[in-house]
Amino acid sequence: MSEAKKVLVADDSETVTTLLVTALELEGYEVDIALNGIEAYEKGIAGDYDLVILDQLMPGLLGLEIIERWRNEGHQMRVIMLSGVDDDRTVVHSLDLGAVDFVRKPFRLPELTARIRQRLAN
Amino acid sequence: MDATRIGLIAIGVVFGVDLLLLLGLVSLKAVHRRRMERHDARRSAYVAVLSRHLAFEHHTDPIGSNAGDDDAFIDAVIDLRNIVSGTEIETLAGIVDRVGLRKRQVARLRRRFPLGRRLRAAVSLAEIGDESTAAVLIEHLDDREREVRIQCARGLGRMQYTAAIDPILERLGREHPWVRARFADTLVGFGAKATWPLIAYIRVNLGHDENVGVIEAIRILKNLGDGEAGPPIAGVLRAADDPEVQIAAVEALGVVGGPLAIAPLLDALRSPDWRLRAKAATSLGEIGDPSVAAALSAGLEDENWWVRRNSAAALNLLPGGDDSLIAALGSDDRFARDAAAEALADSGALGAARDRAEIGQATEADGILIDYVTAQEAVPA
Repeated sequence: MSEAKKVLVADDSETVTTLLVTALELEGYEVDIALNGIEAYEKGIAGDYDLVILDQLMPGLLGLEIIERWRNEGHQMRVIMLSGVDDDRTVVHSLDLGAVDFVRKPFRLPELTARIRQRLAN
Repeated sequence: MDATRIGLIAIGVVFGVDLLLLLGLVSLKAVHRRRMERHDARRSAYVAVLSRHLAFEHHTDPIGSNAGDDDAFIDAVIDLRNIVSGTEIETLAGIVDRVGLRKRQVARLRRRFPLGRRLRAAVSLAEIGDESTAAVLIEHLDDREREVRIQCARGLGRMQYTAAIDPILERLGREHPWVRARFADTLVGFGAKATWPLIAYIRVNLGHDENVGVIEAIRILKNLGDGEAGPPIAGVLRAADDPEVQIAAVEALGVVGGPLAIAPLLDALRSPDWRLRAKAATSLGEIGDPSVAAALSAGLEDENWWVRRNSAAALNLLPGGDDSLIAALGSDDRFARDAAAEALADSGALGAARDRAEIGQATEADGILIDYVTAQEAVPA
């Protein structure tokens, strides 16, 4: 039996993390959470995750700042950005920094889990 | 008993009462904190169970029968509604119906007391109400509590219940200014659907009952930015006697008027009321049609400082307006020269002219502007 894929959900809203953890565990993933930018940055480096779902607006460090730091330090983990900020510049900047996808809040849960499934399958 | 003894007893009594009050306050804070902690714990538990319902459509975990009365459940539903969209919203609506949340909140709102619970019910219905609660929200637009009225209007706006536009409008003129401003925000939220009801409201009320609500309605049309409102507002500007209504119309025409508003605004620029002239100058600048440059240049010589200032700022917004301002630097009227120079400095034209002069690429207009400002700076204050 193959090992469960590991996903980090980083969002300062406990409601978002609870919802995503519930949905992703149902899909069979092993899920960890981070509730602020600094925790997300540190766990992302230490945790060997197959995918990170990263909120843009978090206390401590913004999502974009976290990806930028990871990339500058040579970490190439897959990131899906999640944001309530409907701003094209943020989307473009995220993708330029190597995020594999960008999902706007509010989101459709089945669509988000499908995107996650697809990214983890590749 | 001597005076010293009485004084000591008095100090002791005051100290004792203060201590009791302090203890009471600390206890109240502790009770409140514990209540909030319990609320947060219940909210987290509700988020968890609701998440299971959203993530797995056949999920059967029961939700407590009292959830519809529990503020923690309502907060959990509102939080999740702000995160998910599509069918998940319908799933949440189904759960909300099953626990009878809306019915219970309606019942709470209809009670006379306590205010805190009634207000909480209004906020809940504003967030999760649907068309089944719209009639109740409209009914409570006349609630005795201002904040309840505001929440009811907000809820109607959130669900885009267009049948509520007229009832909100009818109350606009007679409301407290704070409520009126929030009602106005709600109407703006309806977007272009509110344009024609607002125009109809203005037509009915203009010239009656001291133009009650007319100014607010014009300002809402300005904020909506719908060009459909331009010709009717131009009509209001021509028909209104009240200078405050005229000023509101002139301001709105700058945003929604377009080319058809130029003629009435040029009339307003010749008004005996300086406020109207000043606002007309600004609005003409916002429309940005170069054909008004001559009229705005004349405004630079107006007797009123605000009209001169706004005319200069408006010229700055017109294509080729800089040329008119440079030309005004040669005017016989000192006020016109100063207004033009100030506007050119504010727009950055002076700085750009100096930059070009430094690298030897100044134009003739740059030279006129720099010479004028240099001469002014040399004059002792």
